[in-house]
Amino acid sequence: MKKILLTVLTMHMASMLFSQSKAEDVKSFMLKNGMKVMVLEDHSIPNANMYLFWKVGSRNEYPGITGLSHFFEHMMFNGSKKYGPKMFDRTMEAAGGSNNAYTTENVTVYTDWFPSSSLETIFDLEADRIANLALDSTMVESERGVVLSERSTGLENSNFRNISEEVKASAFSAHPYRWSVIGYESDIKNWSIDDLQRYFDTYYAPNNAVVVISGDVTLAGVKKLASQYFEPIPAQPAPRKIHTVEPEQRGEKRVMVQKQVSTPNVLIAYHVPETQHEDHYALDVLNSVLSSGKSSKLYSYLVDENQYATSVFSYMPESFDPNLFYIYGIAGQDVDAVKLENEILNVIDGVIENGITEKELQKVKNQKLMEFYKTLETIDGKSDTLGTYELYFGDYKKMYFAPEAYEKVTTEDIKRVAKKYFTKNNRTVGVLQNSEPALGEESK
Amino acid sequence: MKNTINKLFVFFVALLLTNSIVAQEDFKLPEYTKIQLKNGLTIYLMERHEVPLIQFTAVFPAGAVNDVKEKSGLAAVTADALVLGSKNYTKSQIEENTEFLGASISSGAGKESAYLVSSFMKKDQKVVMDILKDVLLNPTFPTDEVEKMVSRKIAEMDQMKESPRSVLSNYYNKFVFGEHPYGNPEEGTKASLQQIQNKDLINFYKEQYNPSKSAIAIVGDFNTKSMKVEVEKLFGAWKSSAKTGNILPDLPVTDKARVLLVNKEDARETTFYIGGPGISRNNPDFVGIRVINTILGGRFTSWLNDELRVNSGLTYGARSSFTPYKLGGTFVISTFTANENTEKTIDLALETYKKLHTKGLDEEILTSAKNYVKGQFPPDYETNSALSILLTDMYIYDFDESYINTFTKQVDALNTQKAAELIQKYFPKDNFQFVLIGKASEIGELAKKYGEVEQLEITNDGF
Repeated sequence: MKKILLTVLTMHMASMLFSQSKAEDVKSFMLKNGMKVMVLEDHSIPNANMYLFWKVGSRNEYPGITGLSHFFEHMMFNGSKKYGPKMFDRTMEAAGGSNNAYTTENVTVYTDWFPSSSLETIFDLEADRIANLALDSTMVESERGVVLSERSTGLENSNFRNISEEVKASAFSAHPYRWSVIGYESDIKNWSIDDLQRYFDTYYAPNNAVVVISGDVTLAGVKKLASQYFEPIPAQPAPRKIHTVEPEQRGEKRVMVQKQVSTPNVLIAYHVPETQHEDHYALDVLNSVLSSGKSSKLYSYLVDENQYATSVFSYMPESFDPNLFYIYGIAGQDVDAVKLENEILNVIDGVIENGITEKELQKVKNQKLMEFYKTLETIDGKSDTLGTYELYFGDYKKMYFAPEAYEKVTTEDIKRVAKKYFTKNNRTVGVLQNSEPALGEESK
Repeated sequence: MKNTINKLFVFFVALLLTNSIVAQEDFKLPEYTKIQLKNGLTIYLMERHEVPLIQFTAVFPAGAVNDVKEKSGLAAVTADALVLGSKNYTKSQIEENTEFLGASISSGAGKESAYLVSSFMKKDQKVVMDILKDVLLNPTFPTDEVEKMVSRKIAEMDQMKESPRSVLSNYYNKFVFGEHPYGNPEEGTKASLQQIQNKDLINFYKEQYNPSKSAIAIVGDFNTKSMKVEVEKLFGAWKSSAKTGNILPDLPVTDKARVLLVNKEDARETTFYIGGPGISRNNPDFVGIRVINTILGGRFTSWLNDELRVNSGLTYGARSSFTPYKLGGTFVISTFTANENTEKTIDLALETYKKLHTKGLDEEILTSAKNYVKGQFPPDYETNSALSILLTDMYIYDFDESYINTFTKQVDALNTQKAAELIQKYFPKDNFQFVLIGKASEIGELAKKYGEVEQLEITNDGF
């Protein structure tokens, strides 16, 4: 297809987009204590949600307290002044609500889903634990067991988990992204209540949070409850900045993990810039070109045409600081790790040398638009994505302009970023397999 | 993650906690049109205009229950292979033409039915539906593509077993259903997959894909009247000489407690189910059973999660669930724990479960669970995809929209006395069936305590 036709098609879709949902539909306000609240009214179902994004994750930790952000995510459910141990969940579930939470390298996110009639209960519950968390030593001890089980079941059931921990640890030598979000086992067993209290005082301050509420609510109603429940919680001094910059990598790093597997797993990671960097959209498009769908470069070549792998994916997390672009493959029958690695690198080299076609680029733009619509299908998708854009891109409005940002990416950009970042010196290669091949053994 | 326990069932409610009576409108299924084409194909059309997307879900009576032992996995291979090529489109055309539009097409088979699912933008309706028609009516099952897919599936069989969680239900179903077709593993086995040839797919398709036993649900941004014309034009042409409806035998009944121990030499934790007979999807007490299961193991504060996780720190999560099929189903308690805590955890799970029968439910916990399931209900049907699956489930499992429209009423009608009756009737009391995946040298002895033990190596082919 011709480039001009593709462009017209996309512009048409971009204009359709504006009739669906607008950045102006999202209202935001700042409480006096520095907590930012965003509201998106949607009355399609009698439900709402509240997403609380805290700017604290494993990047805020240091050896000795690795995993503490995630452990804290658990402790936030274990009792505060008004609602003692277990009462947060019991009260919320009895009010028809449910919740969950997750922790990443950058943020800790709490999610509440509830019938909109229970909105005030949710505010009361959240305000109580933010203002008055009570760290109970019995709960801390039993929660250590829970988190050790969570850590262990991840390693038991996921080869990716096993290899990615090692690859991260090798790729980063200075920046705190080098340890896993769940942390080291010895740290989980040994951190103290004082460590927890200090963490809470430092990071769980209203000025360190962004709140998103979507669903069957009114802006006025949310404003009233936010000023009643959240505004009295005092602000705290801004947490210390993470100033460690990972030094430039000066040669390929390699890491090997031995584990009983039927075929080897290979994980290749390249250092890439943070989400707000100008190359982000091009790298994100490249990520999709490589592994989104059966016609993607890695899948079609490795899995489909040649059976070098049974599955493959690539992944680039949103990130405050420069992070990694991961490419992961599970070898096909009788394919060894060396072969799989070489074939993955063949695909990468192909992009560096020949770039991608206009059609491949347009395909990804269309896929991004589809993803955007799916996001808007649910109140959950709306809150999650608005919060993500606010934190990682610096402005929730950018969610609505993402199709335009992707539209600006050219095939030249893709070739340029592939060449810039996918270099040998900039990569870490991890292999997970039964045992190390003997010296001198040749690949098939 | 705080927890990964799946949401079970849910409902819509408007009040609670306060005693105020708020006028409350029950959550209703959006309007839809149901028609039957001359060839017997059932069509559901539901208009939704929030986003310019359309969801297509088709179901066929071609699930793993139709597999024969020597060629176990054939149903799944055939369904997956629908998109490997058709009369007018090669495999790469199917993939590239849809993916270029941001659309997706996928197919597969479950226990009782096979499916073809697609998601696309409104403006691409004609292009994508023409492909859907061709892959459904005129699949060619090209030999080279089928062979590649089968060999990939064989490699994946071993890979799956590297994660106990992903194969536990296969072992469990085989253990409790035995030779009954419900015991057939959807993925097949390495040995059976090796037997499957391209002609088997062609025959299976001819025998099992029958419009008069199939349904298509289309949900999204379209006009019903013109979509009806379109659907008749495309799918009215589907002719088939397929035989219809296998009659399945009755489910086997167990009269003793049994344990299947699956040895995984490098296991550091034991992953297990404790279970018994479940219910069929169209059971009239389905909603009430869900409410009770919510209390037992269907939410974060459930008894099982509270005891095994919150109070004792033995596991990251514990739950219970009913998996319903047409004839019946399974009920299981599921969790995992470190090798050395296995016995303690199984005992605590059994002790906690027992309270359902010995102690029963009080008013307060029942009210909480009723509020919970009602409050969590509407988001379950928020997307075009979820609604299209609901419609096709109604077709497969023979229930109707009263499930949605009377949901609140049914939940409200449950009182402690009725709950006690349901517990007595549907929650197994004894003869539990255990499947433990773990390190036999460490847990083999204790397994004997729970029933007659049968042991398998996880590295053996099959389940």
